[in-house]
Amino acid sequence: MSRSCLPISAALLVSAVAVGDEVVPPEVISKVAAVPPVGAPPALHEHVVLELTITDDGVVHDVVVIESAGEAWDQAAVTALKQWRFKPALHQGKTVASRTQLTFNVAAPPPTPDAGLAAQPDGGELLEAPDAGQAPAPERQPPEYTTRVLGRAEPKSTAPSDFHIEVGDLRIVPRKTSTEFLKLAPGILITNEGGEGHPDQIFLRGFDAREGQDIELTAEGMPINESGNLHGNGYADLHFIIPELIENLRVVEGPFDPAQGNYAVAGSADFELGLQQKGLTAKAAAGTFDTQRLVLLWGPPGESSRSFAGVQLYRTGGFGQNRDAQYAALMGQYELPLSQSATAYIGVNGYAAKYHSAGVLRADDVEAGRVGFYDTYDNRLGGDTLRASIYGAIHHHGGPFVQQHQVFLTVRNARLTDNFTGFLLDVQGQLQNPHDQRGDALDRNSLAITVGAKGFGRYRARVLDHNHELTLGYFGRFDLAEGTQQRLIAGTNTPYRRDVDLDSKLTDVGLYANADIHPFDWLTLRGGVRADLFTFNVHDNCAVQDVRRPSSQNPPGDQSCISQMDLGKYREPDERVSALGSSIMPRGTLLLGPFAGVTLSGAAGQGVRSIDPQYVSQNIETPFASIFAWEGGAQWAHRWQSLDASARAVVFGTRVDKDLVFSEQAGRNIIGGATRRLGGLVAARARGGFFDLSLNGTYVHSAFEDTGFVVPYVPDLVLRADGAVFHALPWRLFAHDLRAQLGVGYTFVGRRALPYGQRSDVISVLDANVELTWRWLTLGVSCTNLLNTRYRLGEYNYASDFHTSGAFPTLVPQRHFSAGPPRQLLFSLAVNLGGQS
Amino acid sequence: MKRAAFSLLLAGCLQTTGGQLVTFEAEAVGTPEAASFTTPKGYDVVLSRARLFVGAVYLNQTNPSNYALETSCILPGIYTGEVRGSLTVDALDGSAQPFPVTGNGTDAPTRAAELWLTDGDVNDTRSERVVLEAEGTASKGDAGWPFSAVFTIGSNRKQPPRDPALPGSRPICKERIVTPIPTDLTLGEGGTLRLTIDPRLWFSAVEFSELTPSSSAPARFEFIDDSASAGQPDIALYNGIRAAKGPYAFTWR
Repeated sequence: MSRSCLPISAALLVSAVAVGDEVVPPEVISKVAAVPPVGAPPALHEHVVLELTITDDGVVHDVVVIESAGEAWDQAAVTALKQWRFKPALHQGKTVASRTQLTFNVAAPPPTPDAGLAAQPDGGELLEAPDAGQAPAPERQPPEYTTRVLGRAEPKSTAPSDFHIEVGDLRIVPRKTSTEFLKLAPGILITNEGGEGHPDQIFLRGFDAREGQDIELTAEGMPINESGNLHGNGYADLHFIIPELIENLRVVEGPFDPAQGNYAVAGSADFELGLQQKGLTAKAAAGTFDTQRLVLLWGPPGESSRSFAGVQLYRTGGFGQNRDAQYAALMGQYELPLSQSATAYIGVNGYAAKYHSAGVLRADDVEAGRVGFYDTYDNRLGGDTLRASIYGAIHHHGGPFVQQHQVFLTVRNARLTDNFTGFLLDVQGQLQNPHDQRGDALDRNSLAITVGAKGFGRYRARVLDHNHELTLGYFGRFDLAEGTQQRLIAGTNTPYRRDVDLDSKLTDVGLYANADIHPFDWLTLRGGVRADLFTFNVHDNCAVQDVRRPSSQNPPGDQSCISQMDLGKYREPDERVSALGSSIMPRGTLLLGPFAGVTLSGAAGQGVRSIDPQYVSQNIETPFASIFAWEGGAQWAHRWQSLDASARAVVFGTRVDKDLVFSEQAGRNIIGGATRRLGGLVAARARGGFFDLSLNGTYVHSAFEDTGFVVPYVPDLVLRADGAVFHALPWRLFAHDLRAQLGVGYTFVGRRALPYGQRSDVISVLDANVELTWRWLTLGVSCTNLLNTRYRLGEYNYASDFHTSGAFPTLVPQRHFSAGPPRQLLFSLAVNLGGQS
Repeated sequence: MKRAAFSLLLAGCLQTTGGQLVTFEAEAVGTPEAASFTTPKGYDVVLSRARLFVGAVYLNQTNPSNYALETSCILPGIYTGEVRGSLTVDALDGSAQPFPVTGNGTDAPTRAAELWLTDGDVNDTRSERVVLEAEGTASKGDAGWPFSAVFTIGSNRKQPPRDPALPGSRPICKERIVTPIPTDLTLGEGGTLRLTIDPRLWFSAVEFSELTPSSSAPARFEFIDDSASAGQPDIALYNGIRAAKGPYAFTWR
């Protein structure tokens, strides 16, 4: 059978862009001629319309047929196109992946410049016509098509430590939770004494943000912090995010961007969601501690990475005692191009978890052999979580205007039982019937419904031959939060006391203006102001818990919420308080350069953390924790062909007037005094054709302003390294490449300051993961804590009494710790179907 | 400006959160002079035995001045030190009698101290632990009262609440804890906490002439081990061993 050439011409048509602006479309660098199908029926049309993704390094992916000329003709066109190479599209001067449609003309007429070759006049290969009787193609023009930039516009840097991090190949580095991706940014330590289902505790640049109280956390722009949560105002549980669906991170380490809102004290972090892998991916993993994980992912071919669906099921027996956990997460998002100038996306997610936690142990009990290093005092500790959210956004640009609007709705319930002090706090009250210490176990439950919207409008003008922008943005959220906190009798789950019972209605309305001015090529000024108004309406269902002179005839006894005043005069046990407060926060950034790839920058700004509803008083201007932060630094970036390198060095300082400090008696962070921080960081990343390496280190001195004493528990030195190497192996299996990937992550945390002049142990943990991919099959083995280091993840000094050492209570401070996980192996198998069209 | 500079200086110099955790030894000594003494009420007392059982010692960083009005025997957050090991102190022996355990604490200033006169759960009324053993002879003029005292603090010392609306107002732990014993010291690593007991002050208010005879030949008298007793000597001695000011003193070496 003779093979003849197919008269295929391709037209790469670029007439507009759908997202963002300043887009330079991709250009063809090299083409491969298509081979016409032999013996195929005549083409149905004169052209095959294909849609493809051109990656940011110019490679063709994810080709789908939009308009078919017949299966054989289509396949011939697709086969050829996959071998083409492109110069990638540019967005705001940077290479980006793009989604483009391309026409292969099947009929004899050669393409003409006005036949849609707007940006690439020589887009196809003109070949001979086939012999077999092909009907003359009717005269018609190929349709106009668009190039659509995939992903998101790169955010503009608002500070020297504004990190926009593409996870990329560092995805191979073992990370058990989505929170651990934050370690790609400098100065972040993740710990967790509450178990695998419990939200991670985040330390950022000298702040103990606990479960997010000092970091504004968002996923795809949707707020995660929970206002009014009793475990901490701003509590954030990131476990609902399936790690495979994290595409990029934006971490701003300080309040420097006017778009940052409540809780952006230490900074903010946005998880940009996406799935590069197309088709259906099923991944199963099993390993030590009876751990199993099953993930199903769907990346619809032909859609952007922002369209995906994912399900994750996870269970573990946990290491040591009482660390079992089970959870399930579901996420879906679809990005819909509405027109050449508008796109929209809608997303949903759901999450449910049940877990136990080991809590803390006293070091003296471990040293005396009374408990083991990985044991627990109380097997009731743990919690459960439910979450459901829906969100959507629309993005539109037209001429100099860009606008985006987003709405979100989240329903969440979180229950958590913990006990940091054992049997210490249940002191005998006069009103109470005589009792022994019944135990300090706290049972907290918070239900929150959050609804809100955010958005911005941006106007661009060109003045004096430079682009300038003005952005006006808004943010609004309403929270309906219910929270109860009870104390449980040891050995049972019977509540004996109600500490807190609040129903809160909270609003936060924010407006901001942000200017981006470029007076000269080497000078950029960014900044503006943000104003937030907070309202609080708090119904305290247990407002009175003591009475000085109770009724002798009707004593309140063991009631927690008392309905009498002195001498038995009746009152309702509840009370409502409302308050309002506002804050105006200027923020600004100055950038000089780049000079030989180096950009110098400085930033300053104010941030705010709203008051916990537990502290709200009637008509009192609600006190805010406000922060002032400044920093200066230098950033360098360079690209040599396939090697991308960047580095930065930053010095920073912060002052917070009401910092949060951990209280073991409250089992959470409570408001402390004013603190200052002074520190520096370095970060670097290098990416090449076979490796990706990220290094960062941060040192910060955190001290109380009045005494100069060091702030306890926060790390001053944090080092982190993430590395990945990947390459095809020299062997082939059934004529297909074998590709190997190795990822390594290393964390070092210096001795943390503890109360009473103590220092913790260092943390030094190495994780590794290796994967082998053959066609659609990937085998992997992941190992966390590779060296099986026995270490203390969290350490504390305070008084507790767990009834472990004799009849007399222990009332003076002692060292406590939560154990870091030992070595864990996880073997995985992943199958991808339909990943390449 | 000066304040900011000072803060920066402090921030650059201090690398501590303040304070220190310490461990220390603890011992008790008696008062040999108490073997023979005269009480303020004019009784000449010769003690042949004076032993006090000390279950534990706690030190406070704030003086719980209103402690008598508080109902809680434990006030989390005020403690600077603890010695959680029992010792029966011979109050007539002036040599050091070490506690069997090492003490723990902080270097925060100590302003008060507590003696726990129990061997177990401070709220358990069932304890029959003898906390005081005393024997001797009191005399005034020609009269003499050979006496003995064996005190426990359990259900025999339970007090009813002072108001039915305050059922938790008089827990048994209040009977067992001697507090606040005025103290002014600061613990340090490796030092020794010394408890000095002067049993003479236990008997300061006792009217020995009102003692209850336990046998007539030979004549013996005893202190009744029950708060239900209305006898002056019984109440006075019980209050004497629980007196925060006088019989007990803490020093640091």
